[in-house]
Formats: sequence, C-alpha cells, structure tokens
Amino acid sequence: MKQHPLCTDCESPVTALEFPIPVSVKREWAAIETRRRFLGRSGKVLGWAALAGLFGEMGLWRSAQGTDLRTPPAEGRNDLGLPHFAPKAQRAIYLFMSGGPPQMDLFDYKPSLASRFNNDMPDSVRGNQQLTGMTAGQAHFPIAPSHWPFGQHGQTGTWVSDLLPYTARMVDDLTIIKTMNTDAINHEPAIMLINTGNMNAGKPCLGAWLAYGLGSMNDNLPTFIVLQTKTNPKENNQPVSSRLWSSGFLSSEYAGVGLRSGADPVLYLADPAGVDRDVRRQMLDTVEQINRQTLAEVGDPETNARIAQYEMAFRMQSSVPELTDLGQEPQSTWDLYGPEAKQPGTFAYNCLLARRMAERGVRFTQIYKRGWDVHGDVVGTLPVLCQETDRGAYALVTDLRRRGLLDDTLVIWAGEFGRTVYSQGGLTEDNYGRDHHPRCFTAWMAGGGVRPGITYGETDDYSYNIVKDPVHVRDFNATILHCLGIDHSKFTYRFQGLDQKLTSPVAAYVVQGLLA
Amino acid sequence: MIAPQKLTVTLRNLRAQTTPTHRFAVLGASAVLILIPLLLRLDGRPHADWLQFLGRFHPLLVHLPIGMLMLLPLLEIAGTTKPALREAAGFVLRITLVFCAITLTLGILLAYGSGVTGSTVTLHMWSGILLLIGLLLCFTVRPAWTAGQAPQVYPLVLAGTLLALIWTGHLGGSLTHGSEYLVRYMPGPLKRFIASGSQGSDAAYVGSVYMRTIHPILDAKCVACHGANKEQADLRLDLYALLMKGGKHGPVFAPRNPDGSLLLQRVTLSPSDSHFMPAEGRTPLTSEEISVIRAWILAGASPSATGVPGIAPAAINADLPPEPVGDYSSLMNQIRQMQQSLGAKLVAVSATPSDGLILRTTDAAASFDDAQLARFEQFAPFIVEAELGRTAVTDASMDTISKFTHLRALHLESTALTGRALGKLSPLSELTYLNLSGTKVTSSALAPLKDMPNLRHIYLFDTPADSAATAAHTSLKTPQ
Repeated sequence: MKQHPLCTDCESPVTALEFPIPVSVKREWAAIETRRRFLGRSGKVLGWAALAGLFGEMGLWRSAQGTDLRTPPAEGRNDLGLPHFAPKAQRAIYLFMSGGPPQMDLFDYKPSLASRFNNDMPDSVRGNQQLTGMTAGQAHFPIAPSHWPFGQHGQTGTWVSDLLPYTARMVDDLTIIKTMNTDAINHEPAIMLINTGNMNAGKPCLGAWLAYGLGSMNDNLPTFIVLQTKTNPKENNQPVSSRLWSSGFLSSEYAGVGLRSGADPVLYLADPAGVDRDVRRQMLDTVEQINRQTLAEVGDPETNARIAQYEMAFRMQSSVPELTDLGQEPQSTWDLYGPEAKQPGTFAYNCLLARRMAERGVRFTQIYKRGWDVHGDVVGTLPVLCQETDRGAYALVTDLRRRGLLDDTLVIWAGEFGRTVYSQGGLTEDNYGRDHHPRCFTAWMAGGGVRPGITYGETDDYSYNIVKDPVHVRDFNATILHCLGIDHSKFTYRFQGLDQKLTSPVAAYVVQGLLA
Repeated sequence: MIAPQKLTVTLRNLRAQTTPTHRFAVLGASAVLILIPLLLRLDGRPHADWLQFLGRFHPLLVHLPIGMLMLLPLLEIAGTTKPALREAAGFVLRITLVFCAITLTLGILLAYGSGVTGSTVTLHMWSGILLLIGLLLCFTVRPAWTAGQAPQVYPLVLAGTLLALIWTGHLGGSLTHGSEYLVRYMPGPLKRFIASGSQGSDAAYVGSVYMRTIHPILDAKCVACHGANKEQADLRLDLYALLMKGGKHGPVFAPRNPDGSLLLQRVTLSPSDSHFMPAEGRTPLTSEEISVIRAWILAGASPSATGVPGIAPAAINADLPPEPVGDYSSLMNQIRQMQQSLGAKLVAVSATPSDGLILRTTDAAASFDDAQLARFEQFAPFIVEAELGRTAVTDASMDTISKFTHLRALHLESTALTGRALGKLSPLSELTYLNLSGTKVTSSALAPLKDMPNLRHIYLFDTPADSAATAAHTSLKTPQ
C-alpha cells in the first residue's frame, strides 16, 4: 500500500475499518467505497429525482390552477365547486375588536360576583393555567366584579351592560356566543389564530379564503376590504398588521385591500394633472404587456396577480370616490349613525362605509377597532371604547335590516380573546384592570344564516371556564364559512404537501346551535 | 395520394399476390358479416339462455384480439430490422383474425341473447363488424406488401383497422362502464372541448312533481339499464314521453291505476322473483320511493302537475332546502356569452345546478334596462334571485320578471319603480323576499302582494309606502 505523504505513521495508516465494529457494517462500508456502486447509486438517485420532479410538477400544476386568471372569478368559482351548498349569506362584515374586550363587563352577566369583591379567585377555578407575564407574578388574584349594572333587553330579555345602550336595543337580532375560546393568551398569536386559523404568520385569513373561494360580486371594487378605525391615544392600542388580512399562500390578489382611516381613503386616487384616463389606460396596457412577457419568461403566478391588481386600481379610481361620497345619504342615515359618522376614520363612519360596500357587492369587509386591551383603568377607558363602537355597530345592523340587506349579510363582532375576572394590578373600590383570558370570551353574530335572539353557551360563575357548549375560534370560523355556503372541511388548498384549510388540520365543527 | 396510373399498378400487384378463390372468400365473408345484423335483428327480446351463457364470455375474450392487434404494427415496424419479427407478424395477424371473429360472434350472441337494444349497442356491433372486415383486408393485402409490390396499401388498411379498434373499444367501454366513465374526472379545460349536447326535452316540466320527485328516482334506480345507452326490453325511463310509451311488454305506467302499472308490479315483486326490478345486483327502490310513485300514478301520472296528494310538497320555507330548479348546465355557453355582451352575470347559487342562478347586475347597473332584462327570459326557469337594485329597470320589467317562475328573492331597490305593475308578480309562488327600498312605491300599489302567502319579507325603506307599512313589516319580522 502506498503511504500517504502526510502520514507520519509507518507503512499502514489506521482506517475506520480497523475499529472494533460488526463485520456486516464493515462489509457495507467497503461496498460503499467501490466506484461501481457509487455510479450505480448516483444513477438511481438521479432517476428518482427526475421522477419526483415530474410528480412534483403535477402537484404544482394543481395548486397553480387556483391562481389561473383565465378563469373569471365572477362565476361563483364554479371551478372550485363553490359554494358547496346554497348559502344563507352572500357577504360578511366583521367588526374586529382588537385587544380583547372584557366579556364580564359587556355581555357575560355575573351578578354573584358582587358579593365576592376583592376575594381571591379560588385556585380550583384557575387550575394549572399558565398566565401572562403581566399577572403571573401577582400574589393575589382579587375578583373584580363589573363596575356597571346590567339590564334585560328586548323580547328575549337578554342581559346587556349599561355601557352598551345601543347594542341593547338590537339584542333580538343578535346571536350572542358566550363560550368563545382560543389557544393563545397573547395578542399576536391569538389574533392570528382567529383570523387565519393558525398562530404563525403565512396563512390566508378568513377574508382571503372567501375572496379566493367565492370570488367577486363587483368587478369595480375589491372583494375583501379592510377598514381601520382611527386610534384614540388614550387607549392601549395593540398594533394590527397587514399579516391579519394577508392572502398567505394564496395569490396576493385575494389579500384584503386596506382603506386609510383619514379623509383620503386611497392615496393618489385621482390622476395627476395632465394625465387623462386615456393616457392612464395606455400606460396600464403597456405595463400589462411587459408583465405578460415576464409571466411567459418566469411563469410566476404572482405576475398574474399583479396584473389583476393594476386593473383593479384603475377601476377603483372611479368606484372609490363614488363609494366614499356620503353626500347622497339621507338625513335618516345621520339620525341612525350619529354625527360621528361624518368624520372619516371613526368607527361609525367605517360602519356606514361597510353598509355602502355591502350594497355595492363587496364580499367581505373587516373593520378593525383597536384599544380594547384594558390592562388598567377599566373604569376610565371602557366607557370611551363602548361609546366609540356601540352606536356604529347598532346602526350598521339596523341599517342593513331596514334596507333588506341583513337577510343575506352576516355581521360578526369579536375580539381575539377575553379578559380575566381577577384584577390586574391593584383593585380599588372604583377601578381595576383586566389581563388577557383565552378560556372564554363573548362574540356576537347577526344576519344571514344565524339564529337571531339567542344566547349560546354558559360560563362558570367567574366567567373563567366554560360550563356548557364551548365554541372554539376554529368552530367559529367553520360556522362563518357554513353561513356563506362553504363546507370548511372541503375547502382546501394544496400547499407544502398539505391540503391547507382555514380551520387548520385540527378538527373543527360547525356549531349547529347557532344556525338559523 | 396515389396517382391513377400508380393505382392500377398497385391493384394489379395486389391481384397477382392473391388467388381468385381467396378474393372471393374475403368478399363473401364481408358480405355475410354485413348481413348478420340484418338477419339477426336485435328485437329487444331475450332468446335462448345458452346464447347468453356463451355471449357473456365476450367481455372476457375481447381483450385478446385487442392486445394482439396492438402488437401487430409494432412487429411490422420492428420487422424492418429483424425479418424474423415480420414473419411473426404474419402469424399474429392470422390468430388475431381468428380471435376477432370468435369475439364478434360471442358479442352478437350476447346482444341477441340478452335482448339488449340501444344506439350504443348497435354502433358497437357495426364497428366490430367493420373491424373484422378491416382485418380480413389486412390479411388479403399483406402478401403484396411483403413482396414489396403495393407499399402503401397494407399500412393504410392497418391504420384504418386500428382506428376501428379504438372506436369499437370505446363504445364497448361506454356500454359496460357508462358513457360518462371516461370524461367524468377529466380536467376542466379538456372538458370544454367536449360539447355537452343535452337531448333532454323534459325542460318544459321544470318544477313539476314529475321532475322534482319521480324523475330523480327513476334516474337513480332504473335509467342505467333503461336509458339512452342501454334500452333493456325496449324501455326507456329517462324521458317522460318514452316512459309513458313503455317497452316491449306495453306501457309500464297506467295513469290512475297503480296496481295495473307494470313498473310498480315489477318493483314490488319478491326480490327472489326473476322478474323483480331493478335487476339482480342493483339497489331496489325504497318503500318511500314506491309509495311516491304510487301516489303520482294515482293522481294521473301527469308530467306537469306541481302538487300531488300524498307527496309532501317541498315546502317553501327558509328552514327547508329550497325547491330544486332544472339543470342549466347545458346553457353554460349562452350564459357566458350573455355575461360578455351585457356585463350582467348569471351566477350559480352553489355547485349544485338545481339550486339555480342569481342574476347579478352590479357591474352594469346604470345601463341595465328593461330590454336587457328581457334577454334573460331564456334562463327564466333557472333564476332564483334577481339583483336589479340601482338599475334602470322600470315598471315594464314586471312582464319579464313574472316569467321567472322559481324566483325567490327580488331586489328592486333604488330603481324608478312606481309599483303600478306589482300585481304581475302574483304568479311567483316561491317569492319570499322583495326589496323595494328607495323606490316610488306607495302602499296602495302593494295591495296585490297580500295574496302571496310566501312573500314574507318586503322592504320599503325610504319609499312613500314606508311609514304606512313599517308596522306591518316589523310584525312580520319578529324574531323567534
């Protein structure tokens, strides 16, 4: 054997084969070393790789179908076989209360708590639950009963806090769910979970799924619009990001289009001086040609999405001014929504816009209202929050009803989680704070597909655990899809080798008790 | 392709390679083959059992000549380099011919013996005969080709024979697996190339008890053997006119006489009885289905009656699934054209065609007028919801709308309607929702709507009738 030039040892260098290992392994190693075997194996590996490539391409072809622009999305997405059944609701409006409204101060009436003021919450109620870092260190968990009285309203006699006088007027139209629950205790994972069915970013949200699955009802406006309410600096505003209305792995044309909360809902909407519609049209046509070339060369379906977005922006130049022009609204509108509705960016204004969008065939509108994260000074901030949102929500439902739109519009009011019955920080006679609480919270729905005038589910005396009929956020989403004619378990999109769906791979169930 | 001069040469060469006896035999055999269907006419009656017993080996044996015949061109091509294979091809051709003849015989025995009829069966038989004649011709012209004297004839005849084989095989597959078998899971883009020619002439009965209740039962349980593809016993149950005509045993439905109706007799026999229907191996009718058919016959077996005592009418109620409308699939092309020319869309309510269509005008609202609406009359029976809000339609549109017999929701908000002609809507018995918000409708114009029992939601916001009717409306909308 030829000696290695760098080897200082004499004659025979030690190889791995001389270690005390089983003979069969040694034999295998020896076999691996042969050139014949190496070439043979490489050939097979290449063959398998080619085969995998072929099959993989077929898989890609299938998932790329969803983004095929040649299929006009307006045909009710018949290519996807949707809606699976005749829907009760054609569109939905989602009033999202970001931050986590305190359920026991608004809907979940717990009269027995008054006598337990400042008592420590029994350990048996909390069990082994892990709390947030904000209250985990607290030595005591003093019970803070709601500061506000409740009253019974409507023919159904539903209990509603005095903080919500307008909502109280429409309880007979509402489907109140007291047993919502979620998996996450912090804002970002919880808000992602309820919106996209998954705590991690990258999944499409409810609106994107609907835009993809049901398609547009109006070619001149986006299928999915997001409205942000102007923040009130006195409130504890948790950030909301475009992840919440993202299309995830679906084509980006299904993502929510956010309108600004200021006076100018879309910036640079008007053509600049000297550019008329024809020039704009020519420019877009040319850009489209270039994009089509790119598409032919690269084959990225996102190019298709980009072309569609340019076209939508062009059409929105005329449709958005018409949408946001409230000059034609009759006096009865202002009587209903209140004077705040005249200021762009308020919750009431956004509710009015949502009604106008519903009339104009926008499939899904989501209004975000931030500031519900009342860790402290509940007594100071909660009345402001309620005052800002109560009338708008009432006006929206009432307006939809009197105009005959509530029959096929689903209105949803929910936050990402609830709040604790025990006080965060010091509990005083006239103030308290509340921490995040995922185990139960209240949401309501109204309109197409849900049973009006019911309260669903029961929580325990502390509004801490669910006693009867839990509704997980996944079940909630499955139920919303059901109202829109979609079987959540069949509504899938193949991505990363998995048939992805809004209700995630964990089992979810349509809550039959909520359905009309 | 072949010049006349060349053709005569080719023919002479062919003649040189065959004996007169040979030629006579081929011609004679072809003539006999062509005469078979004329002699053994498929009369829809089953014949001797042993015919069927042998005939049932047809689907088994059929694969043998198919495989051999597919092998033949391969051998011939490979024969250009290896002469031994060309010799083998001659042998394969001969045994293919033999097996094909046997298979054809068995097939004819099967058809004749079982008494099956139908256009596909007949076509399958003829194409099989054509295939055998093609093989005979191959056999005749091949010697000339191997001798190098008529180089084009044999390849052409062989190619033709292969085409006949594909056609025959496809028809046979359609008979055993159903005509939809091949295209059912075909990807959408490919499917568009296949015209969906619907021959259904029962569209006139859309909405009747027959279409809603009776036809689906027959379609599920009977039509597989008594339909367009297979007409066992000369009976077709897929179209009203044909099912009333009956089969070779006469009519199967006797209006107002369920006990005298052959179909009911057959489905109510003991399942062990050899005359029991549906035939062995297929799902029998349920007792509900039988009682429904009995009630329908008792009421006169009418194709158009919309109510029959004993058959629960599909109650028009929000809590129950809406009544199915007819299948509009065959009109998809017109629907697409309409969309392109007018901007208004016809959108499917759901993936189930019987849920109907929504007429959606949002994109063209300002220009959508009575004349454009009238163009949707051809889809009238399929439209369950008409969204005409904010359009330019007027009172005159009621004439068109009154033809939308399955209309359940009608949006007319913010139009120039005065309500003068609302009475024309009264034939729309399924209408539950009417939105007149923002129109000029007065309370007196609403009077004719009072007699519409299902019309539970009328919206009059911002109309002259608003204040007058608000009370009535809210009382209708009380929550449960």
